[in-house]
Amino acid sequence: MTEKPTEQTIETEVLIIGGGVTGAGIMRDLSLRGIQTLLIDKKDLCAGASGGNHGLLHSGSRYVFSDLHSAIECRRESTILKHIAPQCIEETGGLFVAVAGDDPEFAENFGSKCEPAGIECTPISTSKARELEPLLSDRLFKAYRVPDATVDPFHLALLNVAHAEMVNGSSFRPHTEILSFICKNGKIEAAICRDNRTQSTITVRAGQYVNAGGAWAMDIAHMANCKDVNLLYSKGTLLVSHDRLTTHVVNRLRPPGDGDILVPGGTVSVLGTTSLRVDDLTTVKPTVAEIDINVREGTAMIPALATARYIRAFSGVRPLLQSADNADDREVTRGFALLDHSSQNLSNFCTITGGKLTTYRLMAEKTSDLIAERMHNSKPCQTHTTSLPDEESCRWTEPGASPKYWYRANDPEDMILCECEMVPQSAIDEIITDAPGAEDEMNLEAIALRSRAGKGPCQGSFCGIRITSHLYDRGHYHDKTGLIHMRDFFNERFKGMRTIIWGQQAAQMELAEALHCGLLGLNNLEDD
Amino acid sequence: MIEEARHFTAELAVIGSGLAGFAASIFALNRNIKTAQIGNTGAIAYTTGYLDLLGSLAPDYAASIEDPWQGLELLRSSYPEHPLCRIPQTDIHTAFEQFTGFLGECGISYSSPGKTNARVLTPAGTLKPTLCMPATMQIGTTAFSRQEPCVIIDFKGLKGFSSSQIAANLKDQWPELRNTTIEFPDMSLGEIYPEVMARALEVPETREKLAKILVGAAGETKIIGLPAILGMHSPDLVRKEMEQLTGLEIFEIPTMPPSVPGIRLREMFEQLFPQKGITLIPQQKVDKLKIEQDGARLFLSDSFGPITVDAKSVILATGRFLSGGLEASIDGITEPLLNLPVTQPGSREEWYREKYTDRRGHEINKAGIEVDASFRPLDNNGAPYSNNLFAAGVILAHQDWIRGRCGAGVAIATAYKAVEEVEKYLS
Amino acid sequence: MAEPTIPTINFKEKAEELLPQGASFESCLTCGLCSSGCPASGIENMDPRKFIRMAMLGMDEELSSSKWIWACTQCKRCQHVCPMSIDISQLVFLARSNWPQEKKPAGIVRSCQLIQSTDSTSAMGLPPEDFVFVVNDVLEEVRELQPKFKNLEAPMDKKGAHFFVNQNSREPMSEPDEMVPLWKIFDIVGADWTYSSKAWAAENFCMFSGNEKAWFEVIRKRVDAVNKLGCEVWLNTECGHSYYTMWNGINRFGMEVDFKLESLVTYYARWIREGKLPVNSDWNRKNIKFTVQDPCMIVRKAYGDSIAEDMRFVTKALVGEENFIDMQPNRSANYCCGGGGGFLQAGMTEHRRTYGKRKFDQIAATGAAYVLTPCHNCHSQMEDIGHHYGGSYGVVHFWTLICLSLGVLGENERTYLGPDLLECI
Repeated sequence: MTEKPTEQTIETEVLIIGGGVTGAGIMRDLSLRGIQTLLIDKKDLCAGASGGNHGLLHSGSRYVFSDLHSAIECRRESTILKHIAPQCIEETGGLFVAVAGDDPEFAENFGSKCEPAGIECTPISTSKARELEPLLSDRLFKAYRVPDATVDPFHLALLNVAHAEMVNGSSFRPHTEILSFICKNGKIEAAICRDNRTQSTITVRAGQYVNAGGAWAMDIAHMANCKDVNLLYSKGTLLVSHDRLTTHVVNRLRPPGDGDILVPGGTVSVLGTTSLRVDDLTTVKPTVAEIDINVREGTAMIPALATARYIRAFSGVRPLLQSADNADDREVTRGFALLDHSSQNLSNFCTITGGKLTTYRLMAEKTSDLIAERMHNSKPCQTHTTSLPDEESCRWTEPGASPKYWYRANDPEDMILCECEMVPQSAIDEIITDAPGAEDEMNLEAIALRSRAGKGPCQGSFCGIRITSHLYDRGHYHDKTGLIHMRDFFNERFKGMRTIIWGQQAAQMELAEALHCGLLGLNNLEDD
Repeated sequence: MIEEARHFTAELAVIGSGLAGFAASIFALNRNIKTAQIGNTGAIAYTTGYLDLLGSLAPDYAASIEDPWQGLELLRSSYPEHPLCRIPQTDIHTAFEQFTGFLGECGISYSSPGKTNARVLTPAGTLKPTLCMPATMQIGTTAFSRQEPCVIIDFKGLKGFSSSQIAANLKDQWPELRNTTIEFPDMSLGEIYPEVMARALEVPETREKLAKILVGAAGETKIIGLPAILGMHSPDLVRKEMEQLTGLEIFEIPTMPPSVPGIRLREMFEQLFPQKGITLIPQQKVDKLKIEQDGARLFLSDSFGPITVDAKSVILATGRFLSGGLEASIDGITEPLLNLPVTQPGSREEWYREKYTDRRGHEINKAGIEVDASFRPLDNNGAPYSNNLFAAGVILAHQDWIRGRCGAGVAIATAYKAVEEVEKYLS
Repeated sequence: MAEPTIPTINFKEKAEELLPQGASFESCLTCGLCSSGCPASGIENMDPRKFIRMAMLGMDEELSSSKWIWACTQCKRCQHVCPMSIDISQLVFLARSNWPQEKKPAGIVRSCQLIQSTDSTSAMGLPPEDFVFVVNDVLEEVRELQPKFKNLEAPMDKKGAHFFVNQNSREPMSEPDEMVPLWKIFDIVGADWTYSSKAWAAENFCMFSGNEKAWFEVIRKRVDAVNKLGCEVWLNTECGHSYYTMWNGINRFGMEVDFKLESLVTYYARWIREGKLPVNSDWNRKNIKFTVQDPCMIVRKAYGDSIAEDMRFVTKALVGEENFIDMQPNRSANYCCGGGGGFLQAGMTEHRRTYGKRKFDQIAATGAAYVLTPCHNCHSQMEDIGHHYGGSYGVVHFWTLICLSLGVLGENERTYLGPDLLECI
């Protein structure tokens, strides 16, 4: 970036801080009520917990023991989402299985616990369960079927943003971080932000300010001197296998614990999660110990997890509302909270936090209701009935989809740049011009977030080079910064690999490092 | 079905078909040791053609070393366990001379090992230090150091090699550098691999067609740089002819895998070794190795059935994870053939640093097997595993060949040393 | 009638089942060495790496119906260059077998049907009695017209003969005189050999069509025929895939046989070494240049480099060391010419020639006037691409050159000789 930091003022009706699914959902909800918004995120869409989870669309059955209210909410919301956003959802169905050593009484009660929540739960024989999922342990003693599904949070957030942009010209700015608020007479007058790529300052003047900062919501609230947001941070670590191991979501039928859910994610499987209380959001990353626990625990359910090839690990932080002093964060309410901050003497600020991916729409609805009411807008929420329209440039996040589009187009000139996930150059071109948050000198992480590029076994080590070359050829990159983008992309991908490099991945890594550092010398770039 | 068992005998069995393995066979050939080389294709096809001796030094591998020989002296004082520190400099020099000399005789000429490292071009538009390079790549280095006008040319349909990228990254160090894109003659399908272009350029007619296009692309400029595509089997000849046809000076820049220089080496070794009397079984992994006092037996099999090789001595040059010489599991690193002890970090948490491009490099890269002064692998008691077992190449502990830019150095020098020890043992 | 549909294979699952652990699709590093060195890359917008990745990404429908599987000759070069030794050809075979008969390339299917139609197992449908007639007819003519060979023999169904010799159908069917040079060679070395009136044919398009059951039936008939005559060695003629289909089939189907499978090439080499076949290169006064094409089926896919060395030994003995120019790459690293896998019969001419362009270039690069190859499919394909791309080389069988060198090549046995070679006689 060579341009000098500049200053800019943007006016909008509502500023939404935080580009998770909730922020994106609020953006869309308000746009459908005719309210114009600006959504900002200090990184990009789904950079926090929205992108750092299993991608499980809960039927609610997971919560029937601990939190009936949440269970019912999940059941309702998952049903709505299956209708309005089927393109982001795979109706895999789910299994709850108990293996030798698990509490038989707990397993036995599961069915009756689902009933009051209205969740369809069918006991099945263990042989039936193993027929459905051949990799299940032969030490199974109890199994149920539930209507769990999977959801692609990136696709979901992108479509929400794209729809809002289309409906009323609302807009999204990635890498725009809130620094402070200017408050006067019980109102926020302006938000001072920084573009983290250009380092320029942006002043946003809005009528209403929504804090949808997820785990960072408490920090953001503090900037407005609001002391009423109290969060606990629960870190969860998950790992991604090279193959999809099961067709269903597989849950361990026991009180929630480590490594007890295996969720298919298109062409891969996601195993998790651990749960660890953390105080600091800046150093959240998977540890070897967490990985080992997940693998060990998961193996009891699916023995093949012991020998599977893993390609990635990641951690997310769940913001949990501080209400009780529970020993296990999984027991803390999975509900959400909307704080209008009237007690903090601010009339145009609110914070939405807690909750979970499955209930993001409801969280957005409640928040939008408040904003609309404050703006004397009487249009009702439409997101529970209005389908989320497709948008071409957002379709590339779906695992296994890009090769299908590419194969059908049958254009030999459209070369595959990411060979693992088979992402063609036309996808990269489309993302860089049309996707939500698109910009000319888009970095590779932003492209990867909007596609499957770099998500396969080589984790971007080859395609990072090919995409970079392509962007130079297309004129998007034109100086040494392009190489820095490439290096940064590899560094970013590595964070997810560091703890799972064994077996085949050690070979893959050796080849990658020989190429990136041995040949290209990316470890010696001047700015480093 | 009646099948004849296949059995070979040799004085030396080299296990591994990487740079160290091939180097060991060459040195054994030079010493008239009857050799069999076995082991499936490892990383050799991924090599760039550059032969690094020592390019950067621990602890931060930051600056590139200009004088690798002086660098070796520094290494000796700061990191004496490094395999390169256990070999006299004169031997290292001889090893490089013998190795590059052999390649030259076989049609892939190399610059001879000099006093200093050259700064050579990479496909990203960066520069790296290396000791020896294929003759086809030399002009690039001299043109850069003399700051001569030059055009980098890339090809439509070739992925991962952008002349704009190279020019953009080098322009402040090489103002006379330009770039352009052309189409390779007679290639109709969208994507084109360097290997395909290189093989096509073995045909005189293709050379003529490409030469015409190159002349147009070069304009007034007299030096052009291409991705490494100048022939597969006879690069020296192809380059010479292309220069004659175009009246230009031409050089190659290695590409990302799958790249031509590595395939060149592999095919050349595979073709010439048998002619020179080496028993080469390059495609098969050794399943089992039995070492006894007076000899060793290797067990392997190919699609045709089992093969055994009896040898008086063995050099283990099986490489690291990519080639299968070391295996990493969730519980640690092992050596699969003999279960030799592997020196390694205490836990997996220490294998890699937090940041990928951390200048200090990753600890896992220094894991490997231990050897004594005669390059005999050590057992759990710190004693040689056997008198007739030797090791060479990057399987050895205490070196980070990637960050130290000493991969070829470790492979060639330790192979030289191991073969010397084999000769002593055999006599 | 409704158009038959191609059932969908679960390739990922099948790869796990068919390929060894550590060398299955999930071991792929996606480095692209396979595709880089595959002549079928780009055809139908596919290549080996894409095949693996599409399988892993669940594109089973597309892969199941991709025409590319008929352009991949299953030459196994991808596996040869793969650091993980991943064998894609097995899955290609599976995909072929999965196509409904009606959809498979008609030429391959027809050839398989013809093989099954008679006891000859001939892909050209030549019945046993016709084969016996042709052999005797040609034999009589040779005895009559070539006094040197008035006692030449072509034994039929001779029990206890050492060699059971198979025969590619092309000769008895369309160029019967081409059988004679081999008979002469056997005569000269004094081989104890026989043809069989049943299961004499070499070719096996049932394997190419992916019809495993028919493949087995063909091999069973051939094994039975050898056993019936009690021969010690099943000697494969100059035909690449006939060796592979027999050798691989016997292993694949777990058949018990008590004879050896050998290739004629190794015997040529042996007889020359033993002095039984006193060939030399004195005839090649003009230093006509020769190269050899390694048939994938007997080199990379079966014997490995040892047979390739035999081929070179024989070639050098025949044409002179200085007149032999090796093709690059060669031996186990060679490129399939594009005549393999039934490609010649698949009716995909344009694709086949695109594939063959690489081979054409390799031949052109040698500058040789002739290519020697002990494989009929290689032979036909190299002739075709030579004509198509304007090459000036010829393709010859080893037996022709051996007889030429020995000065015993009859007038009618010179079909593949150009004017330059004819002058040398």
